[in-house]
Amino acid sequence: MGGVDLTITNGVLTMWLATLLVFGFYFMVSRRMKLIPGKAQNLAEIVILFIKNDIAEQIPQGKEKWLPFIIAVFSFILANNLLGLVPGIASATSNINTTAALALIVFCVVQIAGVVKHGLWGYCKNFVPEGIPLFVVPFIVPIEIVSTLAKPFSLAVRLFANMFAGHAVMLVLISLIFMFKSYIIIPLPVLGDVVMLLFEIFVAFIQAFIFTFLTTMYIATALEGH
Amino acid sequence: MSSQGLSFLSSGLAIGMAAIGTGLAIGILASKAMEGIARQPEMANTIRTNMIIAIAFIEAIALYALVISFILAAK
Repeated sequence: MGGVDLTITNGVLTMWLATLLVFGFYFMVSRRMKLIPGKAQNLAEIVILFIKNDIAEQIPQGKEKWLPFIIAVFSFILANNLLGLVPGIASATSNINTTAALALIVFCVVQIAGVVKHGLWGYCKNFVPEGIPLFVVPFIVPIEIVSTLAKPFSLAVRLFANMFAGHAVMLVLISLIFMFKSYIIIPLPVLGDVVMLLFEIFVAFIQAFIFTFLTTMYIATALEGH
Repeated sequence: MSSQGLSFLSSGLAIGMAAIGTGLAIGILASKAMEGIARQPEMANTIRTNMIIAIAFIEAIALYALVISFILAAK
């Protein structure tokens, strides 16, 4: 299987749509900014202020520099999660490849930020916690390296599994109708699906928040060091 | 029992047993958070945010088990 597969799948289309929506929204809003905000500008201000005050506050200094990246990650994931709720559109974040790519981007950003901030030697020194006896160092360093590599993995799997599990549960509920082969059972799975859809809206927001929050936390720890 | 039957059984057991642990964990976490909010209602917002983040960490364990159970069931 040589070469790179660049087929345009459902997920790619959904991602393009999400990118267009996010870009279009922020573009339209930022072109016509008013002192007294309208409806769209109000929404954008709520999102940006929420990210600035509740998520980016963990970064000790220079959080304004990081805001664009954090807002982009949040908006992109939220748009993708919410697009999955539209009938006929498959959410791109319910595919592990998308979330793995996102986590990889975050991983690279965090590591490069650490290197730029502390220099290569300072970055390597982060793997050895201060104030431990010398003979523990050979045991601690592999653990630290594994825990660093586990962070993007858990980010990717968390987002993927959360978005995938909700859709899988809805599918199982609907397939109950075909398993029982009767019309009497129909209201129950459909009612369950409605409840699951409402829960999915909640999950879409929460997971976008969690992903962004953890990203910010990793950036903050990379900038601070141990 | 055939190997396919065993893999279905193990996939059910994997997610079920993970659900026991994470259900207990989230229950304890939420009850402590409620206690905290009841004791200090002015800290409700901070406690709620931290609770949701902790829940996401715990929930991830159940979701790893879910992924494993899907792999086992799809074998």
